[in-house]
Amino acid sequence: MTTLEQSTAGGAPLIPSEPGRETAHDPHGSHTGIPNAKLAMWLFLSSDCLFFGAFIATYLLYRDRPGQAGPTPQDVYNIPFTSVTSFILLMSSLTMVLALAAVQRGDYRRFRVWIMATALFGATFIGGQIFEFTEFTRKGLNVDTNLFGSSFFILTGIHGTHVLIGIVWLVALWGLSMQSRISQSDSERVEIAGLYWHFVDVVWIVIFTVIYLLPK
Amino acid sequence: MSDTETQALQPSPGSAPEGQRGGLEPDLPQGDLAYRMSHPAPNLLPGEIRAHPDPWQYVVVAVVLAVITAVEIAVSYTEGDLPDGLIVVLLLAMMFVKFFLVASWFMHLRTDKPVFRRFFITGAIAAPVLYLIVLATLHGVLAS
Repeated sequence: MTTLEQSTAGGAPLIPSEPGRETAHDPHGSHTGIPNAKLAMWLFLSSDCLFFGAFIATYLLYRDRPGQAGPTPQDVYNIPFTSVTSFILLMSSLTMVLALAAVQRGDYRRFRVWIMATALFGATFIGGQIFEFTEFTRKGLNVDTNLFGSSFFILTGIHGTHVLIGIVWLVALWGLSMQSRISQSDSERVEIAGLYWHFVDVVWIVIFTVIYLLPK
Repeated sequence: MSDTETQALQPSPGSAPEGQRGGLEPDLPQGDLAYRMSHPAPNLLPGEIRAHPDPWQYVVVAVVLAVITAVEIAVSYTEGDLPDGLIVVLLLAMMFVKFFLVASWFMHLRTDKPVFRRFFITGAIAAPVLYLIVLATLHGVLAS
């Protein structure tokens, strides 16, 4: 049996092996050159577009329903404050991508600095959201006050939950790195976490414009 | 070595000369699609077709994003001075540019294999199309 026949029988690639190259088993579990985990994350993000789209559409549908009791968007929104928290979340995307660049070149110290900075930016954003929710409640807007309140709190609350999950993920990566369990060859794990984080940022770009900035 | 194996190691007739590859392709079986799909070019990570940008390029993109955000906020304060339709168009255009910059540069869609881009664009286009139809339909129903 030739090398080629042996490879075919074993389900390995049809090309003869060469020293230094993976042939019998791809480290990413894929013979297409497309990492499965990364592909799965993109599929998830694609479906998450539809998920957030549903809540944004619900908000747009219900915020202006006539006859609603309680505060309106004009009564409660604090654009300068939300602009600052939006800017912080936007800049967290920069620190995230710098963390990925650092781990890809094997600079673990900078990786830890940037990944922790990203988590802290995210935590600051969440802190701002909690403050905003508290202010809204003081002004008489709760999740059950009116349709605007329900759709607003659910949309921004779900986004905040995504951010919170991202923070936990980033801190976990930071902890693994502190234990020297993240190496240059694990950069794909960081990249997948980064994709999630950037997506959360991208969704906020849409929410900030559509919910807060567009004329009421 | 069998004939089949020898063929697999030969460049395909349509493949580019070695000097035009920019040093990104493996030395061996250049013409074999299966091999090329399963083995990333040197210095590239799996799933990439080009190397990721340099850190300073990320910083430039972030500065552009910050400037666009500042302009967005300024435009939102022109409500009453500018026609609402114009404000909506400007804000949506800037939102789209920011979305595009983050997705293409920070999420590396411009340097990764097109399959990722196709998946994401499918969801990113399907969502607004689907929900615009829903909004157009239900807005009338709820108003009546």
